Amino acid sequence: MMAGIETVAVIGAGVMGAAIAAHIANAGTRVLLLDIVPDGATNRNALADGAVARMLKADPAPFMGRKAARLVETGNFEDNLGRLAEADWILEAVIERLDIKQALYAKIDAVRKPGSIVSSNTSTIPLATLVDGMPESFARDFLITHFFNPPRYMRLMELVTGPATRPDAAALVSDYCDRRLGKTVVVAKDTPSFIANRLGVYWLQKSVTEAVARGIPVEAADLLIGKPFGIPKTGVFGLLDLVGLDLMPHVNASLAAALPETDAFHDANRPLPVIETLIAEGYTGRKGRGGFYRLNRVGGAKVKEAVDLSTGAFAPARKPKLEAMSAAGRSPRKLMEHDSTEGRYAAEVMAATLAYAAGLAGEVADSIADIDEAMCLGYAWKEGPFALIDRIGPDWLADRLEAEGQTVPPILALARGRSFYRVENGRLEQLGLDGAYSPVSRPDGVLLLSDIKRATKPILKNGSAALWDIGDGVVCFEFTSKMNAMDDQIMALLGKTLRLVKQDYKALVIHNEGTSFSVGANLGLALFAANIAAWQQIEGLVALGQQTYQDLRNAPFPVVGAPSGMALGGGCEILLHCSAVQAHAETYMGLVEVGVGLIPGWGGCTEMLHRWQSFGKLPKGPMPAPAKVFEILSTATVAKSAAGAKELLFLRPEDGITMNRARLLADAKARALAMVEGYIPPEPRDYVLPGPAGLAAMDMAVQSFRKLGKATAYDEVVSGALAGILSGGDSDPIEVVGEKTLLKLERDRFAGLVRQPGTLARIETMLMTGKPLRN
Amino acid sequence: MASYSPPLRDMRFVYHELMGCDALTDLPGYEEFTPDLIDPILEEAGKLCADILAPLNRSGDEEGCRLENGVVYTPAGFREAYKLFREGGWTAISCDPDYGGQGLPAAVNVLVEEMICSANLSFGMYPGLSHGAYRALAAHGSEELKRVYLPRLVDGTWTGTMCLTEPHCGTDLGLLRTKAVPQEDGSHRITGTKIFISAGEHDLAENIVHLVLARLPDAPKGSGGISLFLVPKLLPDAEGDPGPRNAVQCASLEHKMGIKASSTCVLNFDEATGWLIGAPHKGLSAMFTMMNAARLAVGVQGLGLAEAAYQGSVAYARERLQGRALSSAKAHDQPADPIIVHPDIRRMLLLQRATVEGCRAMAVWVAKGLDEQERHPDPAVRAESEDFVALMTPVVKALFTDLGFESANLGMQVLGGHGYIREHGMEQHVRDTRIAQIYEGTNGVQALDLVGRKLGAHGGRYLRQFFHPVSAYVERHAGNASMAPFVGPLGKAFGRLQQATAQVAQKGLADPDEAGAAATDYLRLFGLTAMAYLWARMAETAMERAEAGDPDGFYAAKIATARFFMERMLPQSGALFSQVMAGGASMMEFDEAAF
Repeated sequence: MMAGIETVAVIGAGVMGAAIAAHIANAGTRVLLLDIVPDGATNRNALADGAVARMLKADPAPFMGRKAARLVETGNFEDNLGRLAEADWILEAVIERLDIKQALYAKIDAVRKPGSIVSSNTSTIPLATLVDGMPESFARDFLITHFFNPPRYMRLMELVTGPATRPDAAALVSDYCDRRLGKTVVVAKDTPSFIANRLGVYWLQKSVTEAVARGIPVEAADLLIGKPFGIPKTGVFGLLDLVGLDLMPHVNASLAAALPETDAFHDANRPLPVIETLIAEGYTGRKGRGGFYRLNRVGGAKVKEAVDLSTGAFAPARKPKLEAMSAAGRSPRKLMEHDSTEGRYAAEVMAATLAYAAGLAGEVADSIADIDEAMCLGYAWKEGPFALIDRIGPDWLADRLEAEGQTVPPILALARGRSFYRVENGRLEQLGLDGAYSPVSRPDGVLLLSDIKRATKPILKNGSAALWDIGDGVVCFEFTSKMNAMDDQIMALLGKTLRLVKQDYKALVIHNEGTSFSVGANLGLALFAANIAAWQQIEGLVALGQQTYQDLRNAPFPVVGAPSGMALGGGCEILLHCSAVQAHAETYMGLVEVGVGLIPGWGGCTEMLHRWQSFGKLPKGPMPAPAKVFEILSTATVAKSAAGAKELLFLRPEDGITMNRARLLADAKARALAMVEGYIPPEPRDYVLPGPAGLAAMDMAVQSFRKLGKATAYDEVVSGALAGILSGGDSDPIEVVGEKTLLKLERDRFAGLVRQPGTLARIETMLMTGKPLRN
Repeated sequence: MASYSPPLRDMRFVYHELMGCDALTDLPGYEEFTPDLIDPILEEAGKLCADILAPLNRSGDEEGCRLENGVVYTPAGFREAYKLFREGGWTAISCDPDYGGQGLPAAVNVLVEEMICSANLSFGMYPGLSHGAYRALAAHGSEELKRVYLPRLVDGTWTGTMCLTEPHCGTDLGLLRTKAVPQEDGSHRITGTKIFISAGEHDLAENIVHLVLARLPDAPKGSGGISLFLVPKLLPDAEGDPGPRNAVQCASLEHKMGIKASSTCVLNFDEATGWLIGAPHKGLSAMFTMMNAARLAVGVQGLGLAEAAYQGSVAYARERLQGRALSSAKAHDQPADPIIVHPDIRRMLLLQRATVEGCRAMAVWVAKGLDEQERHPDPAVRAESEDFVALMTPVVKALFTDLGFESANLGMQVLGGHGYIREHGMEQHVRDTRIAQIYEGTNGVQALDLVGRKLGAHGGRYLRQFFHPVSAYVERHAGNASMAPFVGPLGKAFGRLQQATAQVAQKGLADPDEAGAAATDYLRLFGLTAMAYLWARMAETAMERAEAGDPDGFYAAKIATARFFMERMLPQSGALFSQVMAGGASMMEFDEAAF
């Protein structure tokens, strides 16, 4: 019996196997990545080596940092088979062929250490089939761990066990995947394609079949089966282009073969000549010449084209204006009720999909919340099918099915007159197959702000932020503004919060559950204020932000930042001023102000200078720290993970990283509580800065970039302002400069830049196009 | 009988001294327009207006246009006056030299237009409409159409119209019904009825070029399905000479309150032959390219009539003897004092004067922006000027025409009963100026354009071209004691405008009715602040110039008018600010049934 998982072997260095190995390394675990020896290869590890090399260049990156990459050891299955004995967990991710897998299992079983766990990443072959004919001892240690692509970023992992599987083996893997890999583990039954793909493939196939039958153009289908249902804007055809058109016939065939004749999937799975033709012509999706959409070069310009499903010909893609869409607004039901070809298409596809989902309850998983979770995490739906039915109305859907002479799935019949979810005494409950409600359970130690928000009222609140009591004397400050943009209201409520916590609480956590922690200041507001020359307002906000962040840093209690996703600009600066940060592994920090022609003005320059001056690994003297900070800030470098943020000192060595987002708040709270006893706020900072000589050196660096064509004319202006701060202005390298001086430099340079047309043009372009302007 | 005396001194002040338009010679194509060329042009235009056009104003109003057997006759003297106007090259002054124009800067043209409007607005309608048609055709017409039509529009042998309005649709052109059916030879057959068509039919020129908005058979619904067509009254032959009559008829003349010598027609198109201008379904955007210029021109109509009313008011106030000054008698040799001694008469005269001179400065400011937008060699400056013109256009149109009407009305009050009767011509100014608040987009629509299209566009980018220079000006003069009486009030009004702008933008984003409710007051607040900026600059320039001597007292009067504006007109910005900040609830929550 093992204590934990310390060494993992991944067999199969294909796309999934290699990326799973990389992510296991991200968790700090040693990984052995093996594949077969290619015919006639000089490097017998060529497949695994090649996979790692590719991954080091890939974007989005499978590795979180350089350290992780070093934890992957490559090998081949012939020479290194014996080393499987070292592994606590052997993960098979080879081709989906039963004979190959079973032959492999036999070899694995011969060398693996007793009690080690073996799992397969299969997405189509049932566990019962995989272990058929294998010794009982093997079956006891065997399970299916079904990851989604790309494994570092997709948070879903479906776990399937067989009747023979040891519960403690399942618990160990589940716990490892949850805490160390950061996955949401959903327990699925051993049924074809498990949960997410079973429903997802049905949904995709139904959408395509109906679009072809009803003459709905692909652009229209992607709009309809999209936003109103909380489905990502890639829609159906866009998603199939990503997945690969050529993959679908295989997936469909294997699912069709595995499902009973009565399953509704067979009805949706009709042969579609137009797709067969596309695949034959090389339109296999984004990896090929394009798919349902392609980029065509017309006279030097790239034109996005879409295929006509009735003729197979491509024409420039249009964004159709659909009356059904504008009439529906955000209401999925209004769209489904709309009396038009489009409305009827959306109704047919989604009613069938939701009914299919309802029919799966009990078959693929016992809990509807698990099915919803699988669709949210596996297909990026905003809400799962059952939550969606609640929004549309269970009665409406049941009536529609009945009117069409279709069977109403039992759980949908049970939901008539009520809903799948309800909130009882502040707790979220789900409807069970027995018709009774039971609480939606969270794994041990998971603390979700959304659960707290359901159960309590905020302590403080305004239009842009709220403060919540998360228990044990700790409060959580949440941004609620649009896109979590920082504005004067956040600053105001933060100021109030600091006074309140000092009186009544022990510690403060800054956290939210948005996709991004915060992408910085509200640029739209800033741009408008700048355009109407409201300089006092702008300079007032800069000063208020600085003061609030200073107060945050100097507070007599611990403040722990708990970010996930992007933390840029002012959203990064607030974290720089926290006593400690507990970051989700997928946190992307950066001071990117130069991209919009500004400089960090809320203490970001000042704090980063302090961190690099105290770093200890730079050469001595006043120049190295400013030069390093200048390098990071003038190029608007964004860390691509929390681990990467440590390399740039956006996070300090002592800051923590949480792999599982659902555990972030609990970890941050624990961290804050641990710091309460004897907490002392940091001392004011002193700086020794190079002054005019340093400024000249940084200016020269920019000029050389300019000559190389890597910096633009306006980059020089913005970098000049940044260098003016980081060099300490007129300061003398033998004098000590206080942080007040640096903060004033930040304010002055910010005020200077925000009046420049070049800066305003950058902000405007960023707001309008989402892309930086290189003026 | 009212006479007109061109305000050339003030025009030279604005053009050369205040706006530095002499620097326009730096722009490509404007090299020759030095002061020694500009001043005589203005003088000549002034003479034409005073001697030829102004004397026809009253008689034209009395006689009006008449329709007989489908032919419209303009009042006596108009044909001769138009011939002189045309032969003097005045139809061509701001047109492209490639088509026979003189290519004068818009900043000059705007002053010439002002004088024409002061002298005889009805007359000005004919060349004015031609110029609109010229611009649309020059911007979007095919080379073939331009070759035939542009030279004739430029030299005035033909005139033009803009046919937009139909009986059931004016502001909302998306409802338009006139049809255009493509023919095999590439032409179109146009069928439909247009109303309110200025210069739609008349006897001044040998041919009329109608620009008509119509729908193609495959047109999408709404404003995205409208195309622009050229439909001549007489179809030109191969040489371009007028040939057979096209199927477009004047069915009747509208009976109007004012501008009676301008022929305003109902036109019937009955399978008339026409040619597409620009791309199919893009007719509205083609029209919009000339809209800024057309709206500025209508604004200038308000300015022109305010000037005419001011001149009539001053003349009357000096002559009319009635009662004694409140303090003590002034004209002891007369049975009574001239009414110009009375504070309330002075109030009205100065309101008119501050309006006229402030608007004139703004007109040239914006026209100069138009010149820079079209000709500046630096694309960044062109883009900034385009933003500036786009922002200021609705302000100029609505502010000038509202204030123009107010000025004419003040004129009537100065004249009392003699203003109400026809003899002095003041009531005609009141009637004539009223239409300018309505056509070319009502002033309500201008206000919506400002708050809806101009305020929020590109994160408020258009606003920068006004707010930045004003802010910098206020900062620059902050410690200047001699400028304090002007910059102080300007700064205050500007601060209110900033706040109101932020509020309108923010509230309007959440609730469009809020922006709509604020629009008209906001536009006036904006306009007054812009005038305040120009009045401060005028005072500054006048003080500088006066140092070298002020023999005719021109600069002293300028500074005094600036003071009046700051003390007696600009304070309205406070009330307007309160109105804007109050929001629209009191209007929108009012029970509709209770109206």
